[in-house]
Amino acid sequence: MALASNAPVDVLIIGAGASGAAVAYSLADTRMRIVCMEQGDWTRPSEYPSNYPDWEQQQGGEHSIDPNVRGRPADYPINNDASPISVVNYNGVGGGTILYAAHFPRLHPSDFRVKSLDGVADDWPVSYELLEPFFAANDRMMGVSGLAGDPTYPAKQPPLPPLPLGRTGETVARGFNKLGWHWWPSDSAIISRPYEGRDQCKNLGPCTSGCAQGAKSSTDITYWPAALRAGVELWTNCRVREITVSDDGMASGVYYYDADGNEQFQGAEVVVMACNGVGTPRILLNSTSSQFPDGLANRSGLVGRNLMFHPIGFVQGLFEERLDSHMGPQGCNFLSNEFYETDLSRGFVRGYMMQVTRGGGGPFATAMQGAATGAIPWGPGHHDAFQARFDHTASIGILCEDLPEQHNTVTLDPELVDSDGIAAPKINYTLSDNSRRMIDHGVARATEVMEAAGAIEITGGGPARLAGWHLLGTARMGNDPATSVVNGWGRSHDVKNLFIVDGSIFVTSGGVNPTSTIQALALYIADTMKKNLANLFD
Amino acid sequence: MNDNMNDNVIVSDHPLDPARLRLLASLADTIVPASADGRMPTAGDMDLVGHIQQFSPEFLTELPQILDCFDTDFPEQDLDDRCERVKVFSEAEPALFRRLLSRVYACYYQDDQVRTAIGAGVGAPFPRGNEVAPGDLSLLDPVMNNPITWRR
Repeated sequence: MALASNAPVDVLIIGAGASGAAVAYSLADTRMRIVCMEQGDWTRPSEYPSNYPDWEQQQGGEHSIDPNVRGRPADYPINNDASPISVVNYNGVGGGTILYAAHFPRLHPSDFRVKSLDGVADDWPVSYELLEPFFAANDRMMGVSGLAGDPTYPAKQPPLPPLPLGRTGETVARGFNKLGWHWWPSDSAIISRPYEGRDQCKNLGPCTSGCAQGAKSSTDITYWPAALRAGVELWTNCRVREITVSDDGMASGVYYYDADGNEQFQGAEVVVMACNGVGTPRILLNSTSSQFPDGLANRSGLVGRNLMFHPIGFVQGLFEERLDSHMGPQGCNFLSNEFYETDLSRGFVRGYMMQVTRGGGGPFATAMQGAATGAIPWGPGHHDAFQARFDHTASIGILCEDLPEQHNTVTLDPELVDSDGIAAPKINYTLSDNSRRMIDHGVARATEVMEAAGAIEITGGGPARLAGWHLLGTARMGNDPATSVVNGWGRSHDVKNLFIVDGSIFVTSGGVNPTSTIQALALYIADTMKKNLANLFD
Repeated sequence: MNDNMNDNVIVSDHPLDPARLRLLASLADTIVPASADGRMPTAGDMDLVGHIQQFSPEFLTELPQILDCFDTDFPEQDLDDRCERVKVFSEAEPALFRRLLSRVYACYYQDDQVRTAIGAGVGAPFPRGNEVAPGDLSLLDPVMNNPITWRR
């Protein structure tokens, strides 16, 4: 609900997703007046497809992960025509955490030092060690399940025991063991036991269209209730068009459209952007003025540049024995870091994580996918082919580190606009040769795993098209204003009361799902802001 | 109203007349016939029109176009002949056929008897849930014995 007032608020946060919720919760300690504007609304768990018998069909429509298909009033269109990977997002309280798989690994220590270690891209101005207490605090706040002891990470202790491997996980794990390769139960932002008033996961399956059980840790049910109790105001259905600046070059507030489509202005002493790696550059580039003719905070020319996804390869194995492919958290079973670190003999720099998923969709998806590939015919023969596949598959995703390249951009589309007339983002992205080789290597290694695990048929490829889940790098952090947009604690080099806390500040992408690191960074930035309140703009 | 109808006829709002309903059922039966062992029912026995009305009413407007592609004696043909006819249709109208296939599969795989037979659990996933075995974490023993490998 909007409680519009022209009186400036102390802190205005734009976006109520993973990072906006975390920074709002942390800053609430200050007892400042904090307002968060979210272009979407609350999503009721009773609306999620898994409440309904036609849940599989709903996933392809108004609950799609593709905003261009979903087309809700809160969504803005995205021009993906010049990219082999399409953007996935959700606009509403909780943001992408409403639809994410909740696979929750942290970036590794080496990910923050890629220049020093491997001579590519840039080092981050922060380290894993610096962020470690914020990772741990975030795990507790979100509710993370996992298993301590993974030898590919510094010691950490997830607050909840791991999610079940199931028959699918056991089967593929035996393949990894035959090859002598690393694997470990994934850290997952899905609660395996009752936690903080929420009941545990009951293996519904379709996590990526919202969790009706409330076991998946989306920020609408983790951070937001606590932030609201602490006094933060959350204004939904408020779509920010641009950030304004005063004569002294400081951010002064925002123009936004309320739920009725009326233009409003809200002043602010501090503006925090938490709109993801596409939404944040979109607003900044749309915020032009005589002081910032190329977009706000863009004197470096890097706003919208260096867009990184994680190009994703995929391999599916078909097994003779029945697994439990359609049950349990689809994206969260276990991971392998066997090929995570650089080994130049592989033909590429940096590496990838293998993410072992449950493998199969429900019956409808199995039948339709089988029809598309010819594996499951209609007519006589349908039943035998269907039953040989349904619940008989396991999958491995190959999540490749994407290195920053300035020509991969988010810009404003010259024609496409959202329902309020705001220019839509346009994605220009090409897959690098390094990423291409990484995908090919990963698909070949995952195929070896499936063979070792006993798969009787193996298919694979990549990059997956509708897989732009991770939107990173378009307002990178760094110490040099000439080569970065924000400093080491998220403050704009150009606008001293403008902060960015979402994935756009990533310097490099790492090769893991980024939400855990995005939120740890947001908590770190909020903590640094609190420690520097007396001289925040110096 | 049809001029031949007399006042005693109850007018139905059913979108298909009996002949076309029979044709649709025969089409569904061709796409998913009963299994030879009798365990799996035919899609032709299911209320496909009711399913479409409930879950994808927009498809009702496409149904006449699909049914017009088949002769009225289609239901009388044997399964091989019907399959051949559907194959011709699928090649001539691939997008339309895919939408028909989607509706038939959606209806079929939401059916309680079918879901029970394939071990998928009846009804919506929530609140029912699913049982997943915890798995044998002793499989991790060889990994646990590996040295620390994270890179400083």
